[in-house]
Amino acid sequence: MDLLQLGSHSFSSRLILGTGKFSSAAVMLQAVRASGAQLVTVALRRFNREQAEDDLFGPLSAIEGVTLMPNTSGASTAAEAVRAAHIARELSGSPFIKVEIHPNPQHLMPDPIETFEAARILAKEGFLVMPYITADPVLAKRLEEVGCAAVMPLGSAIGSGQGLASAAMIELIIRESSIPVIVDAGLRSPSEAAHAMEMGCGAVLVNSAVAVAGNPPEMAEAFAEAVAAGRKAFRAGLMQKSGSAIATSPLTAFLGVKA
Amino acid sequence: MSQMITIELNGQQQPLPTGSTISDLLSIIGSDGKSVAVLVNQHIIRPENRPTHLLQEGDQVELLVFAGGG
Repeated sequence: MDLLQLGSHSFSSRLILGTGKFSSAAVMLQAVRASGAQLVTVALRRFNREQAEDDLFGPLSAIEGVTLMPNTSGASTAAEAVRAAHIARELSGSPFIKVEIHPNPQHLMPDPIETFEAARILAKEGFLVMPYITADPVLAKRLEEVGCAAVMPLGSAIGSGQGLASAAMIELIIRESSIPVIVDAGLRSPSEAAHAMEMGCGAVLVNSAVAVAGNPPEMAEAFAEAVAAGRKAFRAGLMQKSGSAIATSPLTAFLGVKA
Repeated sequence: MSQMITIELNGQQQPLPTGSTISDLLSIIGSDGKSVAVLVNQHIIRPENRPTHLLQEGDQVELLVFAGGG
């Protein structure tokens, strides 16, 4: 069976779903079910007694086969991310942590230096570290060397829907990596997710594209199908590109016309 | 009438009867505490210690839950 391997954990679904920006918790839960995702991201927030629906731990844990992957969103330094990871593990019991350190709210680009430091510390502590990074092959390799379970380069800016703007760099990362490469952020359409999988990504992480779709559960299903198709195509082996036409029909003489 | 203390709960002032534990605080604010992480002065307090952990005047208490995020 073709499984996504993250540390000692394996998953049959290669679609990871984010839970932010949905119109309600009920719609989000429907989308999670429709996506078949087995890894789902969540964020830490202050408890608010006026907004009890914010607390997603119970409802998400009740979905069979779902493992939580908390993120460190809100952290702007390695120390803050490490602290958030400790709190998240206390709360979820999950070994997964998405290290996400973006100090500038204007572009939300991840800080490579703080991300590397947090990943190094957390991997040493036994977390399955999934760092969100710019599509930088050198950084990706360094993160692999310190024991990350995967690397998660961005396709384009978070929530931008600009798709696989960094496709060429992601291909370089895939070529060099021995751990799964997961495109995280920027995807807008299922075809982009299929493209990422055809390139050889281990999985894709999608949030906004599903959360703000006209029909989130249906879009979740569409992404799941695209991810499965892209993965199948990658395994089947894509044909080589050619600079010129190569005939698919015989070009021998026929009906008196010479080839 | 019992003495009161004031703690800082998620950045807001919160009066509490002297001798209150974390479990008392959770019950006052209507949380069963099952899916809430509790930090007192930046230290994580594990669920088994909440019934006996006494809150002191000026303690900074953070209650955190999982919300939607990507």
